[in-house]
Amino acid sequence: MSADAPHIRAGARKLRQASAVTQAVPEERPGPGRGTARNDADSTQAKGRASLWQATALRVGAGILLLAIWQVGAKLFAPSYIATPVGAIGAIPGVLGDSSFWSSTGATLLAIVEGLAIAVVAGTVIGLAMGRLPDLNRILGMYVGAFYAIPLIAIVPLITVWFGYTPQARLAMVVLEAVLPIIYNVAEGSRQVSSVYLDVTRIHHAPWWRVWGGVVFPNATPYVLAGVDLALGRAVIGAVVAEYVTAINGLGYYIIFNVRSFHEDQGAVALVVIVLFALAVRALVNLTIARVMPWYRPAKEA
Amino acid sequence: MSAAASAPERQPRRVRARAVAGYGSGIVLGAVVWQVVGYSTPQQVFVPLTTTLQRLGQLISSGELGSALWTSFQSYLVGLALALVVGAFAGILLARRRLLRVAFEPYVIALYATPMVGIIPFLLALLGYAFWPKVVVIFLFAVFPVLLNTQRGAQSIPPEQLDVARVYRTKELGVWQHVIIPYTLPFLMTGVRQSLARGLVGMIASDFFLSADGLGSLLITASERFDTAAMLAITLVITAIGLALIGIGRFLESRFARWKTT
Repeated sequence: MSADAPHIRAGARKLRQASAVTQAVPEERPGPGRGTARNDADSTQAKGRASLWQATALRVGAGILLLAIWQVGAKLFAPSYIATPVGAIGAIPGVLGDSSFWSSTGATLLAIVEGLAIAVVAGTVIGLAMGRLPDLNRILGMYVGAFYAIPLIAIVPLITVWFGYTPQARLAMVVLEAVLPIIYNVAEGSRQVSSVYLDVTRIHHAPWWRVWGGVVFPNATPYVLAGVDLALGRAVIGAVVAEYVTAINGLGYYIIFNVRSFHEDQGAVALVVIVLFALAVRALVNLTIARVMPWYRPAKEA
Repeated sequence: MSAAASAPERQPRRVRARAVAGYGSGIVLGAVVWQVVGYSTPQQVFVPLTTTLQRLGQLISSGELGSALWTSFQSYLVGLALALVVGAFAGILLARRRLLRVAFEPYVIALYATPMVGIIPFLLALLGYAFWPKVVVIFLFAVFPVLLNTQRGAQSIPPEQLDVARVYRTKELGVWQHVIIPYTLPFLMTGVRQSLARGLVGMIASDFFLSADGLGSLLITASERFDTAAMLAITLVITAIGLALIGIGRFLESRFARWKTT
């Protein structure tokens, strides 16, 4: 049935195309890019292996186009020290051979991982408590909601006063940024424990720690991971802004230092490393959710 | 816990009273904790709520806060407006043109995940301390939620609606005007809600590093003077702004959700 469906739809479309006056159909109008759009649509419907190839070629082509626009634009309109794709690729060997790059990368990524770990533990505990204890939720809920709503990087200056210009300031920032979406998600998730399960525990006179360990916590695990997914982007922003302000060793400082000393290409390589790290951890989290908890449908971003 | 859980059917008024008491005690507790911590720590670390409010009053009456707010919000509003227009247009375009979607969607998603604070030093080197680099940062923070939500909306238009337009040989412009934009607007508003918050992060970040006068630079200056009261006062203002924007975003979303059929 499902194998037939595309054929039928493709057939219907052919019929429609055949009967319609070609030029009246918006998608059929000739023009730059439009003709190829139709070709691409047809080939995708054919569901051949060729369409996957075409899609990949299109994507790679689009990426090259974007980089080319950047390259040409930077060469024509910008001062010579501005980062360009060619320059950044040329800078890769130098950056990889630079020991300060490796120590910066290690410092930032370790701080993010460490902060995420602290945030997961603290966020899960607070979130579970808030989700299951309505009174606590009323008292703490508005503070969590308020801190989740505001740009937390606004408190970086305060954090630098409290922790000084130290790596602890960055860690504190990462934890703060990461803990809020985890609390929020876990509280939301533990509120959605099916009351049937809780009734069963009540019938069996289960002690509170078995209720929490056996029902509430397992139910909340996917929400913890979903929280981590949301927390990661915030954690990276927190770490980088903290490094900009405090000038401690890290990728954010590596970027700012290189850009200020007119080595933008090297800075661009570091930025790409940050982006790749963020994408990799997100992919890992989503893969874990899909593999370990296939029943879970991730919530939309709040 | 069990009392609150089983009460709703029996005594709604008592539950409401308990909820009000909960929220009220939360506010009072927060204020008391702030006050106590403020008194028991050195002045550079934390100051009591009352001192913070006094400093807030000074900042308002001296006009510092007002002018900083005005500077910051100019770039915020321009950046957000640009993000709205460009994001909505690009979103519909990606939904309508399969070629563009296949080609550019992975890059849009990758850019959405990119921590945009990373490009601030590059913008600073290219454009210096000015109005437009701040707008660019806010735009980049805010554009992708609008774009992706609009695209999701425009792609979920029932084919029958487009077919009707096609039967009447509606021009592309008419299809946009009468089918796509009305159908997509609620989705766009979800994007706007997310963008309002993300744009604010962009505003503070660009204020920190791309501006000599604005809310963020007021914060940095206060931190360099160890003026904790001013920092707390400005943070309070930013919190109020953040909550207000969330409220506006939720209002817009629910206002336009009314005609969302699915």
